[in-house]
Amino acid sequence: MTELSDELLVAYVDGQLARKQTRAIDKVLEQDDVLDARVTALKHAHARLEAAFEAILAGEEAEISSVVAPPPEDGFWVPWRTFKIAAASTGIVIALGLAALGYGWPLTVPGVGMAPGMGTVSGAGSAPEQVELQVSPEPAATP
Amino acid sequence: MQADDYYDSVRPGLVAMLPRLKRFADVLAGGRDEGRGLLQRSLHYMLDEQHHYQRGTSLDVWAFSELYCQWRHELSGEADPMTLARIDDVAFGALFSLDDEGYRDEPIIAYLVGLPPQQRLTLLLVYGEGFEHEDAGRILDVSSEMIAARLIRMSTSLADRLSDRPPAQAAAIVETLYPEGQRASS
Repeated sequence: MTELSDELLVAYVDGQLARKQTRAIDKVLEQDDVLDARVTALKHAHARLEAAFEAILAGEEAEISSVVAPPPEDGFWVPWRTFKIAAASTGIVIALGLAALGYGWPLTVPGVGMAPGMGTVSGAGSAPEQVELQVSPEPAATP
Repeated sequence: MQADDYYDSVRPGLVAMLPRLKRFADVLAGGRDEGRGLLQRSLHYMLDEQHHYQRGTSLDVWAFSELYCQWRHELSGEADPMTLARIDDVAFGALFSLDDEGYRDEPIIAYLVGLPPQQRLTLLLVYGEGFEHEDAGRILDVSSEMIAARLIRMSTSLADRLSDRPPAQAAAIVETLYPEGQRASS
C-alpha cells in the first residue's frame, strides 16, 4: 500500500495540485484500492457539503424574491385592476358611439359651425337646394 | 459568480449578491433572523463606507470581508464572545428547510452545527462559494495556509464520519475567534 498523506489527498480532491502531481496520484489510485476508496470518500463528503450549501442558497433566493415580488392581485378570472381598465375603456367607447349617433359624424357643436359638406346642423333628412341654370340652345350648324 | 467578478458600482453589486451575502450571514450567525440583522447592519456600514472599496478589486471578497469584520466587531463588544458565538441547533437546521420536501442531509447539518464559526465559513467559502484559498483567507483574515489546514482537518474528519471510519487525530491547530496576528500581539 502506498502512503499518501491526507494533506495531499485533500489537495488532490480540491484541484490544488500541479498537473504532474495530479497525474502521479492518478496512477497511484489506479493501483491502490484503499487510497482510491479514501479519495472517493473525500469527494463524497465535498459533494454533500456543496449540496447542503446550495440548499441554503435556494432558500435565501426564494425568501428574497418573495419580498421583492409584488403580491398576487385579487379577482375572479382576471385581476381587478385589469377589469377596471377594461370597463373604463368600454364605457368610453360606448359614450363616443352614442355621441356619434346623436350629433352625426364628424361631430359638430351647435352654434359654432357646420362641418364641411353638411347641409344642416342636424345633418339628416333635408335635401340639398336645387339651382336651376338657364342653358342657351346650341346654334344650328350652317351648311 | 466567482471571486474574479468585478462590479462598476458598489450598490448594484451588493444587490446582485444579496442571496450569497445572506447565506454567509446566516451560516455565520447561525440562523435566518440572526443573519438578517447582521446583514442589515453590515450593509448600512458598507454603503456608508463604500469609498473604501477599491475599484478593480473583487467586490465579493470586499463585501464578505466587511460582513465578517462586522460580526467580529460586534462580538468584541461582548463580555463573553464565545458564548454568543454559539448557535442554536434548531435555528441553524431551519436554514436547510426546503418547501418542496426536499432531502435534508442531517449528518451534514449536524456536522456543521458542531463547528466553530470560522471553520463553517471556511467550508462555505471554498466549497459553497468556490473561492480560492487566498481569497478565503483574505475574507477571514487568515493565511491561505491556515485555510488549507482547516480544509484538510475538516474534510478528513467529515469523510471519516460519513464512512464510519475511526475519527482522525485531534488537530494541532487551535481555533480562536481572533486571527493569528491579533493573538500573537496580545
